[in-house]
Amino acid sequence: MENNLIYSSSPHIKTTRTTRRIMIDVCIALLPATVMGVVYFGLYALALVALAVAFAVAGEYIYLLIMKKPFKEITREFDFSSVVSGMLIGLTIGTNYPVYAPIFGSLFAVIVVKMLFGGTGKNVVNPAIAGRVFMFISFQWAVGAWLLPAIGSVYGETVATSATAVVDVSKGTVPALSVIDMLLGTGMQGCIGETCKLALLAGGIYLAARKVINIIFPLIYIAVAGLTTTVIGGFVFAFFFPAILSGGLIIGAIFMATDYTTTPNTLCGNMIYFIALGILTAVLRYATNMETVSFAILLMNLTVPLIDKFILNKPFGYKKPQKQKEAK
Amino acid sequence: MKTDFKKIAKDGIISSNPTLKLVLGTCPTLALTTAAMNGIGMGLAVSFVLIFSNVIISLLRKAIPKEVRIPAFILIIATFVTIVRLALDYFLPDIYESMGLYLPLIVVNCIILARAESFASKNGVLASAADGLFMGIGFTLALTTMGAVREILGAGAIFGHKLWDFSIGFFSSSAGAFFTYAVFIAVFALITDKISEKSKLKKIKAEEKDFCGEIKENA
Repeated sequence: MENNLIYSSSPHIKTTRTTRRIMIDVCIALLPATVMGVVYFGLYALALVALAVAFAVAGEYIYLLIMKKPFKEITREFDFSSVVSGMLIGLTIGTNYPVYAPIFGSLFAVIVVKMLFGGTGKNVVNPAIAGRVFMFISFQWAVGAWLLPAIGSVYGETVATSATAVVDVSKGTVPALSVIDMLLGTGMQGCIGETCKLALLAGGIYLAARKVINIIFPLIYIAVAGLTTTVIGGFVFAFFFPAILSGGLIIGAIFMATDYTTTPNTLCGNMIYFIALGILTAVLRYATNMETVSFAILLMNLTVPLIDKFILNKPFGYKKPQKQKEAK
Repeated sequence: MKTDFKKIAKDGIISSNPTLKLVLGTCPTLALTTAAMNGIGMGLAVSFVLIFSNVIISLLRKAIPKEVRIPAFILIIATFVTIVRLALDYFLPDIYESMGLYLPLIVVNCIILARAESFASKNGVLASAADGLFMGIGFTLALTTMGAVREILGAGAIFGHKLWDFSIGFFSSSAGAFFTYAVFIAVFALITDKISEKSKLKKIKAEEKDFCGEIKENA
């Protein structure tokens, strides 16, 4: 009888939900978007994504080998988070970027943003976002015009090739594309992974079903961004769908803003975080005439420690200390 | 009292390098290191002001009352900054243009005030001049190498000469300035730590040798 009792220190609950398992789930959720990106933009898109993933993983291995960690141990503890970062970096650039852009972006994201701060779970900002912004700042000189996907517009007329829908909305004109075209990403300019919204939404639903992310928060972000754009545009509801279906809003909301490390710990804090994110994205888009999802997420990531400092969970059974009357 | 010039030189360039060890004067360091030439220009201007203000302050160190020493120092420094500005504007208008606002800002550069306060107001004229010279050299070297690295990576050029068509724009942005600065401080600390460790080991080994030799002799 006594032998059935096990004495041990916490943790007592065992589960198969490890970091590796969650990260593999995110990889699976990103697959449809990757496939659609390759279908739309050709094999060069696949090469960019593959390079980004390969160098993100290589960056982690190189860093840990320099820190004198044995190769076997690295492989045993490898948690696939650098694969996710690499995939996101590959998916958030267009096929107009040069071959070396994802290489530098991935190395910067994994080595500088993640590993130097202490590895998975200790990074201050999302590595994929930082890598994307790094590539955006660094290689703008090498980037030509946005390329259109191979499949043209299904419904409606052909698109004006000069501007992405984001710029159209922020300039106050409703884009010529129909909502269905935007949802499918056909006839629309953009990055490899962000054009086909349907594939991204499928990935989001998979993640929500696997309980990796709470689907409420990305929805809050997307809805607030759309509503703010509507309000800025003078309560014209025609702006709502173009605003949420253009640019990188959906990939950012589902895969980047929901990173565990860079979101607040409390429910209330998360609400503030995602609402502020939505407003910031819409206002910055309007102010700069370009896609600002990654910059908005980067900025809000930096406020997470502040949000966590001021919004705390109430401890169980906590009572507000009653003010004692000062003895005069 | 004999002044130890070797120690002053070592302090200024290595063990208390104003940019990489004391982290003083970061404002021009971050803003002006987009090109190597800017680094040299800024370094020389600061060195000039540093040497002469150190000399004057050292000469006047007994005449300046303790209570008003900071305004007095600032006044002396501002005089030399004005001289540098006017001279540069006349002789080297290109460099004067490129440095812009940062030239008058030398007045509030922490390095100069720190050296005046902690060295020149306590030491003799010759020692103060040497201190100014070597601190200036340390500052100039740090700024020039940082500028060269940022220019090569950020613009694909060195001292204005185009090397290749490849560049990583991040390094010419201000975020890249902070990043490069941090990497420089880290690498410099690594190197100086290694050197000091080695010299310590050498000392211990030499002592051991002496000790063993003594034992042998005694035996």
